Amino acid sequence: MFETLVNGIFWDIALVVFFAGIAWHIISIFRHGLRTDLAESRGSSFTGAIKANISRFFPRREMVPHIRLHVVAGYMFHLGLFILVLFAAPHIDFIAKHITGFTWTAMPHWSFVVVAQIAFAGLILLWLVRLLNPVSRLISRADDHIATILVFIVMLTGCMALSEAYTGLTLLHRFTVELLMVYFPFSSLMHAILFVPSRGFTGALFGRRGVSA
Amino acid sequence: MNIARKRHMRNAGILTLLVVFILPLIPYAISAVLTPPAGSTEADVQVPNPSTVLWQDVRQRGVEITGKTQVQGVDTGVLINKTGEEWRKYRMEILVPYGAYLMGGILALIFLFYLVRGSLKIPGGLSGKKILRFTLNERMVHWFTVLIFWLLGVTGLILLYGRMVLIPLLGPAGFSITASASKEMHNLIGPLFLFAMLALIITFIKDNFYSSGDMKWLFKAGGLLGGHVSAGRFNAGEKIWFWIASIFGLALCITGLILDFAILGQGREVMALSHVIHSISAIVMISISFGHIYLGTAGMQGSFSSMANGYVDENWAKAHHDRWYEQVKNAKSKDIPVQKGGVATSGVADSRKSD
Repeated sequence: MFETLVNGIFWDIALVVFFAGIAWHIISIFRHGLRTDLAESRGSSFTGAIKANISRFFPRREMVPHIRLHVVAGYMFHLGLFILVLFAAPHIDFIAKHITGFTWTAMPHWSFVVVAQIAFAGLILLWLVRLLNPVSRLISRADDHIATILVFIVMLTGCMALSEAYTGLTLLHRFTVELLMVYFPFSSLMHAILFVPSRGFTGALFGRRGVSA
Repeated sequence: MNIARKRHMRNAGILTLLVVFILPLIPYAISAVLTPPAGSTEADVQVPNPSTVLWQDVRQRGVEITGKTQVQGVDTGVLINKTGEEWRKYRMEILVPYGAYLMGGILALIFLFYLVRGSLKIPGGLSGKKILRFTLNERMVHWFTVLIFWLLGVTGLILLYGRMVLIPLLGPAGFSITASASKEMHNLIGPLFLFAMLALIITFIKDNFYSSGDMKWLFKAGGLLGGHVSAGRFNAGEKIWFWIASIFGLALCITGLILDFAILGQGREVMALSHVIHSISAIVMISISFGHIYLGTAGMQGSFSSMANGYVDENWAKAHHDRWYEQVKNAKSKDIPVQKGGVATSGVADSRKSD
């Protein structure tokens, strides 16, 4: 019965909530609109938006001594997770079956193991910084911890189901993914999508004013 | 009586004696003549099992033989691994029970100690003044190692004891899934422990070498046998735990890699030996970590905060690490930030320095 629910109604609900929630969230942000800027434009806001989106991938030199761990662990986790989601063989099969209809080359098993360990290490380090750094601890909310723990559980259940020998473990992993998809649009995990317009807005604002920032 | 009659009587007597002694032996003589020697008849010949010699050689009883096959690879010339049964018996009859006795015994001792002594209080109570003991980097390394160790320890204990403990609870099918999940998690997370251990050793090794006063600390059992004992940043007990954790931890890592990546040409005997070292190291580390966890939490007032937020009470420092406390107060060490003033801040300044 659990298999029927996970593969059936739970998956449908998760899909609807995920996409509808993201759309609602983005639309509600853009509906706010922008205050008309009466000042004369001194530069291109479009160029500024593009520049900000790219330049923010690299930390400012003055900040590096203070955020080195955040940057390194952050990239370890995000890039690792990106590679795992898109290039792990079971994920490719799933995406091909349910979404795209076509497959692509999966990464070899040894690289899957290495990337998974890097992603795990990055996530654990980031969460430890959030807990142990007194500043991060003060400004963290429950949502931040819930999101971290939920992502960790998804990764852990995926790791447990690695051998694909037991349907139950695979179902558990899918169920945790569905929980994450339902939680995603209403949490700080939306930064996965909103970082583009967020950086773009800042970059456009400065770009129009002719400020290189 | 005439001589002839005497001679006749003498001869009769001798004949009688001969008959009495010899006559009973006649049946034995006949039997000995008629009975064939052992092995001389068809019923007595032992026909050996023609396969006995073959299987004795296969099992390598008393002789080392490596077979030859067309298949090339590690251990392909071994038909039956004779050390496998020895390893299995060791695992089930020595490792499992004695490991449980060791871990359970230490837990019982700790519980007993707590019942008798309770939590060790700070002499003079809390002063309210804080001093920085561990930087953010040190705490990050410690807790990263702890998390990985816990994940691996729990999954490892499930693999070792699950059959005895979990099957009655979950049933065979439930345990099968649990064991499979534990094995995958243990194998995937395992290599991370190597990096955690190396980071831990590099971070804490400089303060864990022998220094004067350590032997005195040991003889006084850290003050448990009465009186105050002086100690630096780490006392002798902590140093012993550091070196045990380092040595056994590295043994765990190396044997774990041998077991995890069975593609490096290691045969079954190497794997079995690695498993023996791996399991013993794990049980020793888990057992001693119980004491470490106890002393860092319920066993000693004021200890946990050193790893939670990095600060300890000054009275705690004076009571347990007086030489280190004096060093910090006199600001002789440039690496350890000194908390000037009475009350600790939120740690913003210190976190910047420790980054």
